[in-house]
Amino acid sequence: MKNYRYILIYVLMVVVQIFLVNFFPLSRYVLITLLPALLLALPLDTRAIVSMLIAFALGFVIDFFSNGMLGLTSLALVPAALVRGEVIRSVFGDELGARGDELSLQRLGVPKMVLALLILSSIFLLVYIWADSAGTVAFWPSALRFLLSILVSVPACVFVFRLLRP
Amino acid sequence: MARAGKFYLGLVTAVIFILLEIAAISLLGRSSTLQNIWINRFSHNVMAFTWGSLNKIQSYFGLKEQNEILAGKNYELFKELQHYKELEKAVQAMAKLDSANLPSHFNYIPAEVTAMGTNSRHNYIILDKGSEHGVKPQSAIITPNGVVGMVYAVDKRYSYGLSLMNEKVSVSARIGREGLVAPLTWDGKGSDHAILKDIPLHLTVAEGDTIRTSGISTVYPPDIPIGITMGSRLIDGAVNVVDVKLFVDFASLRYVIIAENPDRLIIEEMEK
Repeated sequence: MKNYRYILIYVLMVVVQIFLVNFFPLSRYVLITLLPALLLALPLDTRAIVSMLIAFALGFVIDFFSNGMLGLTSLALVPAALVRGEVIRSVFGDELGARGDELSLQRLGVPKMVLALLILSSIFLLVYIWADSAGTVAFWPSALRFLLSILVSVPACVFVFRLLRP
Repeated sequence: MARAGKFYLGLVTAVIFILLEIAAISLLGRSSTLQNIWINRFSHNVMAFTWGSLNKIQSYFGLKEQNEILAGKNYELFKELQHYKELEKAVQAMAKLDSANLPSHFNYIPAEVTAMGTNSRHNYIILDKGSEHGVKPQSAIITPNGVVGMVYAVDKRYSYGLSLMNEKVSVSARIGREGLVAPLTWDGKGSDHAILKDIPLHLTVAEGDTIRTSGISTVYPPDIPIGITMGSRLIDGAVNVVDVKLFVDFASLRYVIIAENPDRLIIEEMEK
């Protein structure tokens, strides 16, 4: 029952992400992304290879159903998936995996979760903005876009994570 | 075993990561022209950097061979340069010979000073031309500016001469073109100084007159300038000697002319 709820919310969040990209463009300087939360909320024993394959597929689906460029989200999300395991170990400690627990916002606390999501969001947004600008945008507008996107995306990711792993 | 498994897992992860990124880049390139141009430019830069680095590495390892080739070429060029320098010297010497306006009945051979003594009372000079170049003993060693000495002995490739800075050498000299003839010898006091001896008391020699070879000699060609008079002084109350400042600077002497009189033996035979 718990798994059904998780999968349902997961799929729903993917749809929400597609809607956000297609129908809620705040500004060209602000990018709302929930994908780092979807990545972090994968089961704890998911290996890096599986995480990357899921990230690629997730990115492909988002790009396919949105007006975005096909491959862009996958390009940015796969590096975040690669370091996911290391981020979890660094932020939450090695004992978490040994006990067989899953990530939980309530148990691990908001600050640690914010930190983990901040790292994953930063990796995702850096690659995304870099590839999206394709060398045509100067550094400072890109930096501003990155900062504003982080400011908006990290709280959104915390909220989504809370839904998936309360 | 566990370590090896971890290594292979890391390797597979890295390969899959690279493949997924390549797939994403490929998709991105196909879906957007701007991104396609950017990816192409990026890949060209990566390729240029890779090939450039490989080329640098190849060049680095090929440096030893290149150095050997360059050293060989350097040696060849050095030899060629030396050859041209020798030719230039010969041409310069011939040009000096032509411009010296020397008497035509002498044979002239340009030569370079190999060694020269200047510190004793019997100084010598060694020249780089010998019998195989046609040099004979009793030939004059001159420059367009003056008399240097006389060839004393000849080797196959070198000549040994007595320089004017040798007390044994005496040159028949004339004051002016048609003046008094007197023997000129070195006084042993300096490399630029000589004396004209046996000047009769009743003759006065003006200061600044040019001294030339007299021509009354089978060794020295006539009218070769030697120096200028500096003044005269009385010796033993009987004769005057005239101090002469020589034109030849023995300290910087390098190129000379060997002048050989082809009629010397005939004249000497007749004198007997």
